[in-house]
Amino acid sequence: MRDFWQRYRRNKGAVVGLGLLIFVVLVAIAAPIIFPASPWEMAGAPFQRPFGEYPLGTDMLGRNVLSGIVHGARVSLMVGIISTIVAVALGLTFGALAGYFGGIVDDALMRFTEFFQTIPSFVFAIVLVAIFRPTIYSIVAAIAVVSWPPVARLVRGEFLSLRRREFVQAAVVIGESHLKIILTQILPNALSPVIVMASLMIASAILLESALSFLGLGDPNMMSWGYMIGASRSVIRNAWWMSTFPGIAILVTVLALNLVGEGLSDAMNPRLARKGRA
Amino acid sequence: MTEPLLSVRGLTIDLPPGSDRPHAVENIDFDLHANEILCLVGESGSGKSLTAAAVMGLLPQPSVKPSAGELTFEGRNLLSLSEGEWRQLRGRRLGMIFQEPMTALNPVMRVSDQILEVLQAHGEAGGMGRVMELLNAVNLPDPERLRAAYPHHLSGGQRQRVMIAMALALRPTILIADEPTTALDVTTQAQILALIRQLQSERQMGVLFITHDFGVVAEIADKVAVMQHGRIVELGSKHQVLEAPRHEYTKRLIAAVPTLDPPDRRPLDRAPTVLSVKGLGKTYKTAGGLFRPKRIVDAAKNVTLSIRKGETLGLVGESGSGKTTVGRCIIRLIDSDKGRIDFHGVDLNAFKGSALKPYRKRVQMIFQDPFASLNPRHKVGDIIAAGPIAFGTPPADAMKRAQDLLQLVDLDPVVVDRYPHEFSGGQRQRIGIARALALQPELLIADEPVSALDVSVQAQVLDLLADIKRRLNLSMLFITHDLRVAAQVCDRVAVMYQGEIVEQGSTAELFRHPTHPYTRKLLDAIPGKHWRTRAHA
Repeated sequence: MRDFWQRYRRNKGAVVGLGLLIFVVLVAIAAPIIFPASPWEMAGAPFQRPFGEYPLGTDMLGRNVLSGIVHGARVSLMVGIISTIVAVALGLTFGALAGYFGGIVDDALMRFTEFFQTIPSFVFAIVLVAIFRPTIYSIVAAIAVVSWPPVARLVRGEFLSLRRREFVQAAVVIGESHLKIILTQILPNALSPVIVMASLMIASAILLESALSFLGLGDPNMMSWGYMIGASRSVIRNAWWMSTFPGIAILVTVLALNLVGEGLSDAMNPRLARKGRA
Repeated sequence: MTEPLLSVRGLTIDLPPGSDRPHAVENIDFDLHANEILCLVGESGSGKSLTAAAVMGLLPQPSVKPSAGELTFEGRNLLSLSEGEWRQLRGRRLGMIFQEPMTALNPVMRVSDQILEVLQAHGEAGGMGRVMELLNAVNLPDPERLRAAYPHHLSGGQRQRVMIAMALALRPTILIADEPTTALDVTTQAQILALIRQLQSERQMGVLFITHDFGVVAEIADKVAVMQHGRIVELGSKHQVLEAPRHEYTKRLIAAVPTLDPPDRRPLDRAPTVLSVKGLGKTYKTAGGLFRPKRIVDAAKNVTLSIRKGETLGLVGESGSGKTTVGRCIIRLIDSDKGRIDFHGVDLNAFKGSALKPYRKRVQMIFQDPFASLNPRHKVGDIIAAGPIAFGTPPADAMKRAQDLLQLVDLDPVVVDRYPHEFSGGQRQRIGIARALALQPELLIADEPVSALDVSVQAQVLDLLADIKRRLNLSMLFITHDLRVAAQVCDRVAVMYQGEIVEQGSTAELFRHPTHPYTRKLLDAIPGKHWRTRAHA
């Protein structure tokens, strides 16, 4: 574990990313303490410029933009993390079964996966949310459904190559069951690229959620960054701050997640890291 | 004595800080004369390949760099050359051939174009005519057809011949060969060694030949330098080093090379038969694509063999002969298409999936690659205990048994808590053996168990296997390509060629009076076969 941190630390960008991410997470956790009032509540006069009474100004209904961003962090992170967990779980199951058993099982599962991949993911997500009514659950489900196929393909590839390794054959020979071989022999060795991919998937899930909210398909009871941008797009010329600051929040979070993902990748594949970077 | 072509004095090559020793190569001296083959021999990690790389200016700088000494070639110290001067020298004056010809050739370029490129890069005239001449010189069959061939069309031996043609294209005075025959089958190896010998004397070249195999040394060397831990511990003529080694390490290495004289063995005619395989067949089919014809390969055809209690049957053959397929069919890692596999009279081919489980316990396998056969994320104790646990032994008991087994294979039982990467190849192979023994099998299938190991470690592991086999009265199917090992280990030997067993018999009988032409060819091809035969045993 200490080795791992040593290798991670060599990538300076990843350390900065981790710092930013920890900051965003702390803000999300502390949101009800920083701003006990609901972010939907009117705080003062509408259209107040930033750096005045309210640090980031107020929106057209007089709601505090900073409070919206702080509470929005909860929604964005939660949607990102939960949908990624669901997508990774789906992808691992499908990929592991397809890669381990091969043959007809592989063919069937991969054709099923391709069925999902043929539909452009954002359009698919819109359709799903529109059908099931926009609630936080349907949004998380829609994002998970559109983002598991790449995980499945990645896991399948790992399993296909690990399946042929001698230590897996040795496990077959000593009579371990399929389930045990999948879970204890192959999975731990296949996990590192999945972890890296998952960290990047959280970022794309946050973007997807923002895009859905921007189109008005967000959960109407949840203050999210995408909703804030979407709601203020009609006044962007006379109230730039309403959409700019949530936009920066998205940028910083997604950038942090990407940096962390890259750092994890470097730390988990020490031999591939540091090439082409001095 | 004439002036040496290449003179190495006090060469020291630094390793990056944090390596297991400060210098890869430490203060070595040797001379290479024209018309002479100097063999650098040593075990893995002895620094022999880095020495060759230093002579070619191919060290992975800056992490590994020469820090002292001189490499004098044609009056110049090679260590002070610039990259541009090196380029002039490489290819033109110094040729090199590598171990793995597939990776050294560009897979998407015709081989004739690759040789032509070498000529053009150095502004050499002659064009395609010269390429054909070179292909002829390395005895490639049908050079006209080879003109259009890509590397994957060629066999391993043919690819190595192409590499040699490339290395010789500019008539270098020195040829450096880094384990050029290690990846090749024994019969191909014999041909390539003969070719190098022939070209060397035709062109009066000096050859620096890197190898780990004393058989190859006996076959090809004029002079021998033995390396250990980055130092040359002994340097002398072939005769002196092989017949009257002075240094302890050389003596130990040479003693570890198995002899070709099978020891006398007690007959096992009365012991009961453990395994009897009849008419085993396995065919691999690759489905044809739109533009590809279907490919059908008979990996095993009508294989019939039997093993008695306490007996070791050797299955020998070259790569692609089907010996590994037969081993994996018997242990049911792959399903065979035809035939019976009778284990104590019960046909294992009749079972599938979990019905096989009772037999898993009684037939175990030792794998070839000690680095691939242990899960890098499991502790040694868990690896060994996994089998008994899968069969319902309480984990605590299984772990205690794992410690006993570690002792049995001469490892300290406290290592149960360590991970495989902390062990050397030989130690890992011992762990692999302990894992196979954990289920108390009656039959062991050993698939090239020592071919990935250095010769001195190989001897230890073979001794250990022989000792355990005797103590536990195990039967063993020993799959190997190395006839020296087979001669020492096996009671009987079956020779496989293109999926069929062409000859089978007691080891002593088969080595002394081979009847099948292929067996004779195999025995003839063993490098250094006249060295260390009866007279020395």
